Amino acid sequence: MAHYLRIELLRMVRNKRYIIFVIAFPVIFYLLYSNLWGDQVDETTGVKGAVVLMVSMAAYGALAASIMSSAVPWAQERHSGWLRQLQITPLPGWAIICTKLIASMVLVLPSLLLVGLAAVLTQDVSLPAGEWAGLIGSLWVGTIPFIALGLTIGSLLPPDTAQPVAMIGMFGLALLGGLWFPVEVMPSAMKSIAQVLPSYDYASIGWKIVAGDTPEASAVFGIVGWAVVLGVLAVFAYRRATVRA
Amino acid sequence: MNAIAFNGVTKKYGEVVAVDGLTLDIPVGSTVALLGPNGAGKSTSINMLLGLLRPTSGDIKVFGNGPDEAVTRGDIGAMLQEGSLIPELTVRESVDFIRRLYPDPLPLDEVLRMAELTDLAGRRADKLSGGQTQRVRFALAIAGGPKLLLLDEPTAAMDVESRRSFWDNMRAYAAQGRTILFATHYLEEADQNSDRVVVVARGKVVADGTAAEIKAGVAGHTVSFRLGLQSAAGLDALPGVSAVEIQTDRVTVRTGDPDATVDALYRKTTLDVRDLQIHGADLEDAFLALTKES
Ligand SMILES: Nc1ncnc2c1ncn2[C@@H]1O[C@H](COP(=O)(O)OP(=O)(O)OP(=O)(O)O)[C@@H](O)[C@H]1O
Ligand SMILES: [Mg+2]
Repeated sequence: MAHYLRIELLRMVRNKRYIIFVIAFPVIFYLLYSNLWGDQVDETTGVKGAVVLMVSMAAYGALAASIMSSAVPWAQERHSGWLRQLQITPLPGWAIICTKLIASMVLVLPSLLLVGLAAVLTQDVSLPAGEWAGLIGSLWVGTIPFIALGLTIGSLLPPDTAQPVAMIGMFGLALLGGLWFPVEVMPSAMKSIAQVLPSYDYASIGWKIVAGDTPEASAVFGIVGWAVVLGVLAVFAYRRATVRA
Repeated sequence: MNAIAFNGVTKKYGEVVAVDGLTLDIPVGSTVALLGPNGAGKSTSINMLLGLLRPTSGDIKVFGNGPDEAVTRGDIGAMLQEGSLIPELTVRESVDFIRRLYPDPLPLDEVLRMAELTDLAGRRADKLSGGQTQRVRFALAIAGGPKLLLLDEPTAAMDVESRRSFWDNMRAYAAQGRTILFATHYLEEADQNSDRVVVVARGKVVADGTAAEIKAGVAGHTVSFRLGLQSAAGLDALPGVSAVEIQTDRVTVRTGDPDATVDALYRKTTLDVRDLQIHGADLEDAFLALTKES
């Protein structure tokens, strides 16, 4: 299974779409935005724009990586017959979905770490060690619901539909969750949508951490709740996709 | 000991009966061709052996176990009718990955050599031609060193030369005491590469034997020669002959036993036989004859 994981990572690292959308985009946008608004200071929390943007772009990168590394490759594998190729080997069925989950979790790390690195190098962002650990840890574990969503999409849809659905899901979650624009500037209808989305809970945990606050319980419950719901859905969809009729 | 045992297996897709009460034993070490036209139920049978499909009724054993257990033990390797590779991986990476999933795999270099991929090992899968992709899929099927190899129309997309070397490689693999079942549309392929041919049509076995027996059984040979102005009377009485056709100055007789027919033609008639041609049974003849009966 370790070798399977290695293979999964290898192929994604060679995938141009993954590199562009998932690794290059967040870093480039971070550099762009932080140059524009990096020096603004949030009045309520006193946190610099460069830090808030770091959380937003890292969250976006991780969100994009979780969905892009799961939905489309998985849909393609089912469609192209590679899944069948695996099903006729001694590899157990649960190992396939577990490896996908672990591989996606590894694949979100580059965007998280590179955005952080860009923030440190270009904006002199510095945080206490505990906050760094809390931030990266929570942004990392918090990708589980998005990976589950990606796997659900990949299990249910053929690749040509999974592709746009994953894209829309990814940008929709990022945009409505306040990763591109602060929720505060949104019209109230959008704001109320934002607040039920896992992406908002996800990023707001990060924003709280860098402000030196404890994340709100509602956000933590929100993300755990979404993780459970989407996780169950992913397992259900996976079983449907691999059922032997 | 049987490598494969189908016992009264039926598979229905809604109204469509894809496999209809199939009973078939394949002993360990034999190479068997599953010959049949489109929609005969070949792929359905192979996919049931692999546990990818469940029979509607009946029972399947692979080395005495259910298909799932045989797959888990690494006893089966297969080249399915359709399937592509992971585009970003090289030939070596894909083959090695699949290989390592089996408990007792063949050495990587040997797999690459047996599938004639040594020179392509570093090439990415999205840079392979159709025929080369088929070779990689063959490599994936044998990588784990399975005791039973299932090949579903393996030479589709291969040119004549590739087909020939493919079958040579398949026979080399079979020579090590392994059991092989392959599906094909071509009687010639079945004839040259198997020691037993099972003909299926509409989900049923319609003939089972050596290729020669099957061809003989369908009277698929034709013997033709220039008749000129001579009379064709009496040709239909020659041994093996089932039909006589005359076109301008040529006569064509259809026979189940061309040796006996030709022998009798020379010895028992006074005809002046010129420009004699003998053709073996071809696929169409075999199928038309066999599927009409059922
Ligand atoms: N998923 C499916 N749903 C409904 N009918 C199916 C399905 N798969 C196969 N069939 C039908 O079952 C029958 C047998 O199909 P199968 O694929 O086993 O044939 P085959 O012998 O492999 O044919 P070919 O030479 O074209 O590959 C056909 O009539 C086919 O239309
Ligand atoms: Mg078929």
